[in-house]
Amino acid sequence: MSTAKYDIVVVGSGPAGQKAAVMAAKAGKRVAVVEREQGLGGGCVYRGTIPSKTLRETALSLDRIKRGAQAFECRLKEGIEVGILMHRLAEVVEAHSRYMTAQLKRNHIAFLHGCCKFVSDHVLELTTVDGLTQALQADVIVLAAGSRPKAPHNVPVDHEHILDSDSILSMIYLPKSLAILGGGVIACEYASIFSLLGVAVTLIDLSDRPLRFMDEEIVQRFLHAFIDHGGRYIGQAHIESVRWDGVTSVVTTLAGGDIIKAEKMLAALGRQPNIDDLDVEMAGLSSNERGFITVDRNGQTSVPHIYVVGDMAGPPSLASAAMEQGRRAVAHALGTPVESADHYIPMGIYTIPEIASVGLDEPKARARFRNVIVGRAAFDEVAKAQIAGTNGGLLKLVAGPDGRQILGVQVVGEHATELVHLAELVLLNGNPVDTFVESIFNFPTYAEAYRIAALDIVKQRSKIEPLAKAS
Amino acid sequence: MPSQTAKEMTAEVRQSFAQALEERVANGTVQLPLLPRVATQVLSLVNDPNSDAAKFAALIHQDQALAAHVLRIANSPAYMPKVPIVSLQHAVSMLGINLLSEIAFTVSLKAGTFQAPGFEQDLEVMWWHAVASGAYAKEVAKLKRHNLESAYICGLLHAIGKPIVLNICVKLGKELGVTLDQGSMKSLVEDHHVQVGLLVGEKWALPAQVREAIAHYQQYDQAQTFKQEVMMATVADRFASFILGLEDMTVDVLYDHPAYADLNLYPKDLAALVSAQDMVKKLVNSMSV
Repeated sequence: MSTAKYDIVVVGSGPAGQKAAVMAAKAGKRVAVVEREQGLGGGCVYRGTIPSKTLRETALSLDRIKRGAQAFECRLKEGIEVGILMHRLAEVVEAHSRYMTAQLKRNHIAFLHGCCKFVSDHVLELTTVDGLTQALQADVIVLAAGSRPKAPHNVPVDHEHILDSDSILSMIYLPKSLAILGGGVIACEYASIFSLLGVAVTLIDLSDRPLRFMDEEIVQRFLHAFIDHGGRYIGQAHIESVRWDGVTSVVTTLAGGDIIKAEKMLAALGRQPNIDDLDVEMAGLSSNERGFITVDRNGQTSVPHIYVVGDMAGPPSLASAAMEQGRRAVAHALGTPVESADHYIPMGIYTIPEIASVGLDEPKARARFRNVIVGRAAFDEVAKAQIAGTNGGLLKLVAGPDGRQILGVQVVGEHATELVHLAELVLLNGNPVDTFVESIFNFPTYAEAYRIAALDIVKQRSKIEPLAKAS
Repeated sequence: MPSQTAKEMTAEVRQSFAQALEERVANGTVQLPLLPRVATQVLSLVNDPNSDAAKFAALIHQDQALAAHVLRIANSPAYMPKVPIVSLQHAVSMLGINLLSEIAFTVSLKAGTFQAPGFEQDLEVMWWHAVASGAYAKEVAKLKRHNLESAYICGLLHAIGKPIVLNICVKLGKELGVTLDQGSMKSLVEDHHVQVGLLVGEKWALPAQVREAIAHYQQYDQAQTFKQEVMMATVADRFASFILGLEDMTVDVLYDHPAYADLNLYPKDLAALVSAQDMVKKLVNSMSV
C-alpha cells in the first residue's frame, strides 16, 4: 500500500471541512480532503441544507402565488411529486459543486474520493469506492465527517412510512398528513415547510415548546404562524410506541393513551456523528457518553494534532458554526491568531417564518445582568412587511441595564437570517443602541425594524435615567 | 405455410422474423397484455386513503387462485409469520396491506404476463429474476437511505418487456410458420424488450420512475430523470442475475460495473448485498407461483 504525505488531511468536505482545508492551503500547506460521497459538500449539499432549502423556497413561492391569486382559487394539485417541488435542486447542487471544486483546485487542495479509517494517530487508510487502498500520512488531521440522523430504538424507521431527514427528501408524493417527532431545528424546519405545502403536520415533542434553546417569545411567534398554516404542536408528549398499521397510517401512541395517526412520519430526534467507521481508537481517541469526541473551543482533541469540527463535534449543527469551527481549528493547529468571533456566531433557522439570533437573548442577558432593556419591533409596524403581507414577525433588541450597550438580537419573520447580520456587525464593533437611531435606513425595508426597536429602548431609557441620576 | 424447424432456420429467416417483429412493434400492431385486473385494483386500493383491510381481503377473495397463492406466500419462510396465517384478514393484520398488496400485485402480474407456451422454463427464470431484482432494489434503497416506495416496483418491472417479447415471438412464429430456436429467441428478447417494455409502461400508465428504469437500466447514465432509481434498478438487475447463477457471473464479474461507484456503493456495501442473497432467494422461492 502506497503512502501519500500531506501537512493536513481533512476528512469530510462539508462546510467545516471545506473551510479548514482552504485555511490550511492559504497558509501554504499541502492539503488533502477526503470525501466518502462522490461530490463535494457533504450532507449539507446532498441531504441537508441545500435540498431542504430548495424545497422551502418552492413552498414559499407557491404560497406567494396562492396569496397573490386567491381570486383565481389557485390550489396545489393533489398527489404532487416531491421531486417536482425540488425541480431546481440538481442545478443548485451542480452549481455548488462546481464552485467548490474550483475553489479546491485554485488552492491546490487534493480531493480524494473514498472512506477512511485510522491506522495510527498520524496515518489514515483510504479505501476508494472501487476497493483500492492507500495510506495517508499527515501532521495534522481534521475530522469533519458530519453526522447522520439518530435512529431511536422505539421508532422503527423503514424509509417508506417512517422516514428520517435523509429519506424524507426522496419521498415520492406529498402525504395528506405527516407526524414529526422532535422539536429541534430539523423538525421545525420540515414542519413549517410541509405545513405551508398543505400537508396536515403534527409536531410531537417531549418539551412544552419546540426550539428550547431559543427565546420563548420568538418561538411563540413561530408556533403561531405554524398553527395558522394548519399545523398542530403536541408538547410534553412521551412516546410509548410508533408503528405502521399496515393499512393507511403510522400510529403514535403517547403515554396517557392519546393516539396520533398520520400517513407518514418523520423522525427528527437528533443526529449522531459519523464516527463508527473511522476506528478512532487506533489514534488514541474515544467517544464520550453522548457519542461525540470531546474537544476544546478550538476543536482540539486529547490527541493534540487531531481536531474534530462541524456536526461531528455536536450541536448547534449549523453550517455557519461549522465553517467557523473548521477555520478556527486549522488556525490553532498552525499557531495563527484567531479573532474571538465565536460569541457572535449568528444562528439561523430556516423555518417559515425564519428565526435568527446573535449574541445574548433576553433570558440569558437577564441571567447575566439582572436588569436589561428590551426593545421590540413588531413587523406590523414595519412598512415593508405590511406591503409584502408578512407582518407576523418580531425583532428583539436586547440592551444592557443602561440601555446603551447592545447584548444581542433575536428575530422571527421574513428575512430574519439576513437581518441578523446587521446586528452581528454592530456587536462586533461594540456600537451602542443609538447607532440604529442615528443611522439612515432605506425605506421601506425590513431593517427599519432595528430603528423601531432602538427607539423603544431609548423611550424606556428616558424613564429610568432621571431615576438613576436622582439616586 | 409449413412450419420451419430450428434446423431449417437460416440467417435469412431469422432476419425476416426480426424485421416483422420490429415493424409490428414500431407501428403498434403487437398485442400487448393488459395489466391484470386484480393488479390494477390492488394499485388503486393502495392509493385510496379510504381503503381498509376488509376491502383488500374482499378484492383478493374475488380470485380464488390468487387468494390461495397470497395465503401460501404469506405463510412462507420469506415472511416468517409467528403463527400460521389462516385468512386474508389475518394476513393483512400480520403483514400489513402494503406488503400483502405487493404480494398480490406480483402474483397477478405473473399470471397475466409471463405466458409463452413452449418457453415455460425461460419464463420461470425471467420471473425469478424479476422478483429477485425487486427484492434487491429494496436492499439497495435501504443502504442508500433512499425512500423504498418505488424501489421494489422499479426492480420488479425493469425488464417487463422480456416475457412480453417472448410471448409476441411465440404468437408471431405461429403466424409465420416459424419455430424459433433458443438462441434466436434470446437475441430477439434482448434486442426488443426495452422498446416493448416502454410500450407496456405507457399502456399500463406505470409511474415515471419505472418507465425510466425500463428505458435506461442497461445504460443508466442516459437517464434524464430519476437517476438514483435507475441506478438502483441496474444494481438490482446485476445482483439478481448473480444469485440466480445467470450469465456465468463470478463475484469478480459481478463487482466489475461502474454503477456501484456512481451510486457510491463501497466494497462493504456490496458485501452486504451479497450477504442478503439467502433472504432474496427465500423471497424468490416463496413467489414461485
